[in-house]
Order: sequence, then C-alpha cells, then structure tokens
Amino acid sequence: MGSDVFEITVNFVKMVAIFLMMVQLVPLLVWVERRGSAYIQNRFGPNRVGPLGLTQLLADAVKFITKEEFSPAAGHWFLFYAAPVIALIPATLAFGAIPLSAPINVGSFEMLGHTWGPYIFKFQSFDMGSIGIVFVLAVSSLAAYSLLLAGYGSANKYALYGALRASAQTISYELAMGLSLVGILLLFNTFSFSEIVAVQNGPLSFYFFGQVVTFSGIPNWGIFYQPLGALILMAAMFAETNRLPFDLPEAEGELVAGYHTEYGGIKMNMFYIGEYGHMLVASGLMVTFFFGGYTLYPLLTPDTVAAWFAKLGGTEASILTALVLHVVFLAKVLFFLWLFIWVRWTLPRFRYDQLMDLGWKTMLPWALGNTIITALVIFVMRTKW
Amino acid sequence: MLATNAEPFLKIGLNHYLFLSAILFSFGMIAVLMRKNVIVMLMGVELMLNAVNLSFIAFAKELGNLNGQIMVFFVMTIAAAEAGVGLALAVAIYKKYKDLNIRAFEQLRG
Amino acid sequence: MLMEAIGFYAMAMFLVFFAFKTISDPNPIHCALYLSLTMIGLAGVFYQLDAQFIAGVQMIVYAGAVMVLFVMVLMLFDLKTELRAFSRGLLSGFLKIFSAAILAGFALGAATNSIGIVDEQPPKVMSANITRDLSILLYTKYLYAFEALGILLLVVAVGAVAVSRIKGGSHARD
Repeated sequence: MGSDVFEITVNFVKMVAIFLMMVQLVPLLVWVERRGSAYIQNRFGPNRVGPLGLTQLLADAVKFITKEEFSPAAGHWFLFYAAPVIALIPATLAFGAIPLSAPINVGSFEMLGHTWGPYIFKFQSFDMGSIGIVFVLAVSSLAAYSLLLAGYGSANKYALYGALRASAQTISYELAMGLSLVGILLLFNTFSFSEIVAVQNGPLSFYFFGQVVTFSGIPNWGIFYQPLGALILMAAMFAETNRLPFDLPEAEGELVAGYHTEYGGIKMNMFYIGEYGHMLVASGLMVTFFFGGYTLYPLLTPDTVAAWFAKLGGTEASILTALVLHVVFLAKVLFFLWLFIWVRWTLPRFRYDQLMDLGWKTMLPWALGNTIITALVIFVMRTKW
Repeated sequence: MLATNAEPFLKIGLNHYLFLSAILFSFGMIAVLMRKNVIVMLMGVELMLNAVNLSFIAFAKELGNLNGQIMVFFVMTIAAAEAGVGLALAVAIYKKYKDLNIRAFEQLRG
Repeated sequence: MLMEAIGFYAMAMFLVFFAFKTISDPNPIHCALYLSLTMIGLAGVFYQLDAQFIAGVQMIVYAGAVMVLFVMVLMLFDLKTELRAFSRGLLSGFLKIFSAAILAGFALGAATNSIGIVDEQPPKVMSANITRDLSILLYTKYLYAFEALGILLLVVAVGAVAVSRIKGGSHARD
C-alpha cells in the first residue's frame, strides 16, 4: 500500500475513487442504453425527467430503494441476500487491476513542515505485477456463485433451472475467454497489464522470417496481430456478462426472468449494476489487450503528451498527462460499451442448446486453433533463416 | 515489552504453515471417515489435497526452490480431473440408488 | 513481524473455521459453499507465501470451476437435510477422530524434527517475475510431465462423458 502515511492515504482514497467511478458509470450507461436502444428502435427513450432524460436513473434509484423489501419464506435467507452482493464483487476487483492511465510521478514537496519524498502513483487500484491477467480471470470465474446462490436461495424451481443454465453457460465460456488471450500473451511475452500497454506504445514492428519489419505510422496494437482472438474474446465476454445474444438465463417469457425471479427493489438493481460492471471490465480488457490501452501512438503517448505540459514541470505536468491519457482510455472503453449495447438491440437470442454448442464446438476449437497457429507463426518468423 | 518467549508465536516460520496444513489434512480425513454422503466425502478428499498443496508451497518458500510450486501445479490439475470423474460417478450412483448415502451400496452383491 | 503474524493468524483462523464448518454441516450444499470459502482463503495464504501465480491458478481452478461443479451437482439432487449426517456409534467415531489426530501428530512431528536438523536458513527471496520462472521450469525440466498431464486430462474428459452414458447414467442410451 505504501511506505508512509501520505502514500497509504492517497492509495486508499484512489481505491475508493475508482470503485465509485465504476459505480457512477452505471447510471450513465443505463441512460445510453435506454436512449440508444430507443434510437435504434425508432422511438423516444426517457426524455421527460431532467434535461434529455439524464436524471431518469436517479428517479429510478429512488424508486428501487423505497420499494417493499420481501424475501421468499421458504428460501435460505442468507444466501438470498448474499447473492446480489456477490454479483458486485468480481467486477469491482477485476476493474481495479486494469491500468486506467499513465502513472503519476509526484516530486518531493513540503507539507506540514515535513518533506514527503518522490512517489509514483499508478492509476489503478492495485497493480498485480507479473500475474495481471491470471488475477482478472480468477475473480471473473467467481461470478458463477452469485447466479447459483440467487437460484438456490429463491426456493423456486424456475429460478433454480435458470441459475443452473446460467452458471453452466458462464463456466463454458470462461474457457474460450482464457484461450483467446493466449495468442496475445505469446506475442507480447508478458502477463502484466502495464507491460502489455507499454509494448503497444510503439510503431507496428514484427519479425518477418528473421528480420524486423517496422511500419512507423501505425501503432503496435494487438488487433493487428490477433483479429480472431479479439473476436473470440468479444463473443465470450458477451456470454460471460449474460448479455444478448446470450441472455437466455434472464429472458422473460422463457424462464420468468430466470435466476432473479424472486428479487425486487434494490437487490434486483444490484444484479444489473454487477452486469454493467462486468461490461466495463470486458471493455477494459478488450481495450488493454487489443487496442493499446491508454496510449494512441503516434499522437497521444505518455511522452508526447508530457511534452505539451513540459513548461509546468514536475507534479502538475504528470497529473495533467495522466488525465489526458485517461480521456483517451475512456473514449475507447465507451466505444466498446456502445458496441455491447448496439449488439444487444440488434441480434436475436440464442436457444440454450445452440448457445452451448457455440461455446464448446465452435469457439473452443477456433481459440485452440488460433493458439496453435500463433505459436507456429512466431516460431517460423523468429528463427533466423 | 513483549516477552521473549512469545518469539515462536510471532516469528512465522515453516512450522506454522506445516501445523496449519496438518490441521486441514486431518479435517479432510475426518470428513472422509465420518460423513456418509458420497459428495461430502469427495469434498474431504479435496480438502486433503489442498492441505498437501499448502505444505508444498511452504517448503518451496522456505528452501527458495520453485520445484515445490510446479508440484502444486500438477497436484491441482490431477485433483480437479479426479473431482470431475468422481462427480460423474456420483450422478450415476444417484440415478441408480436414488440416495447418496454410502450405506446404501456398501455391500457387494452377487 | 507483528503485522505478518497478525495476517497469518487471521488467515489461519478463517481457514480452520470454514474447514470445520465444511465437515460438520449436515446440509451438503452448505458444505460445498464453505469449502469454496476455504479455497479462497488458501489462495490468500499462497499469495502471502510468494506464490502469486499458484494463488491465481487456485482461484481459477478450484474456487471457480471445481467448486462450482460441486455446487451445481448438489443443486440438481433433491436432498433433504440428512438427519444423521455422521456415522453412528460413539466408539467408532472416537476411534476415527483419534486416528486422524495421530496422523496429524506424526506428520507434524516428522516435519518439525527433520527441519531442526538443518541450520536456520536466511529468508529466501523468491523471484521477481514468478510467471517467467515457473514457465521456464515447466516447459524445459518438466515438459514430459506436462504433456502427460495433457493426455491425462483428455482421458478424464472422455471418461466422464462415457460414465454418464452407462445404464442408469443421466445420458443413458436406452
């Protein structure tokens, strides 16, 4: 956490701020979803509450909080109340490990008669060092528990079936998700998020039968090396977050809203916050692995942006650089979130057996093939001929 | 301020982790011996394997040797595979005997 | 030193408590959920012991896949809470616990005495990039075991599907 009081305090405040940022992005996302889906479907969305309907979610939150609090008499009350809380935890932990911007270098300064030394604050809740992606996969796999506990604690057969289907879907697509990232790990040679972003911060350069070929105008993004991996990761992320076209477990009309049938009020809303949090993590992962993270070589890298603020010097320049790069990151993440919403309101839903076939018989072989071909190509191209 | 004979409790060394591993292992063994539900017995076996993993990692840290962690890698994989097969067998048993109590099928017949 | 001790004892109490609840709760689904918590606690202990990669793999494999499978299978059965979850008989129960305790004593005594033979070592620093070092070991020195493990997993996957097709299984052909 840090070596002295100032650093520990700043790190703690940073963790809380990033958590709040994730939670506060959810109302904005829901507004984008409701207005965006209305635009796609050629109707108005909510446009009466506040300017452009922006405070609709505030009104909805008040409505949810003041609703009647009920729970099924026959169910298991502890698991019933624990499930929405557990829905939030994996998304929060995973979002903390993704680097949101460049690290901030704070020089020495005087405060309260004491010299606080130079610090480096990373722009993420915690830096998992050399196991970055393993940590994110580990906490994402805990998301299956909230589904199971919700279904079991509800003492409702349909909720249980929905929960079993949802958790079977979740654990099936975790495989494709993990395998699709192996190609990127082979190419960039590291598990750590910061290093992956740093590698993408340069011109496109790869080995071609032993020689290094460099294209100086194009950034070294993962999407140019692994388009199939990006596609499989995107599709697997749709299934992990239970979004259409993979949302049979929470479809009305099929299973009466599935595993959250017996939930109402703020508990139900917490499931949705968890779902949007997972969407945020998924977009963050896509951006970090395949689209350069918070950098945009050759225009907006930590070096070029720092050169704009070189006159201010020291701490202020570093903070402003981090803010500008954070805006770059947010723009990319918002594009992917819009993609999630766009696909939801465009594609129809898969039937359950089609869904499981797709996960095991299509995505897993393609992801494995992608890994094998990537390994072969790397071997052939990097040997000196 | 702290008494000097509190040192063995405060300086966490290998023996502390081995003690924890031994406790978890004996809990797992008690579960296999005393519970009658097949799946809970499988869970006892998983607990025993995890206790062994803990002692491997503790030794790897003590001796500075990464081979202990590689061994844990293998033990974990094999334990997961065995849990999968055990659960498939448990489902088959339930379909046949309609009961998961081992007393229902502890007698060999024919 | 004090912070490490507090951290270790807190994790140890967490683990022992949830492991005890695992083996003593009559409802099997509760047992499975307590075991998941034990696995997560163990991942925390592994992280403390400088085995960060193994901690991540423990969470992915055990807490995220194996225990989810246990909980799913248990939820498919319609099990009433067992009235007699434990075996009958006071003497046989006492003998079983006593034998487990003797085993624990043997293991701990052997370990403690054998460690005392070697001189006190200075604390070893594990590698900075643990993933790279583990993978170098795994793919050079233990390559044969790694490939054998892959074949074993393939056999287990095929075998589990085959078990579910026997007469009386869930996907039986007749």
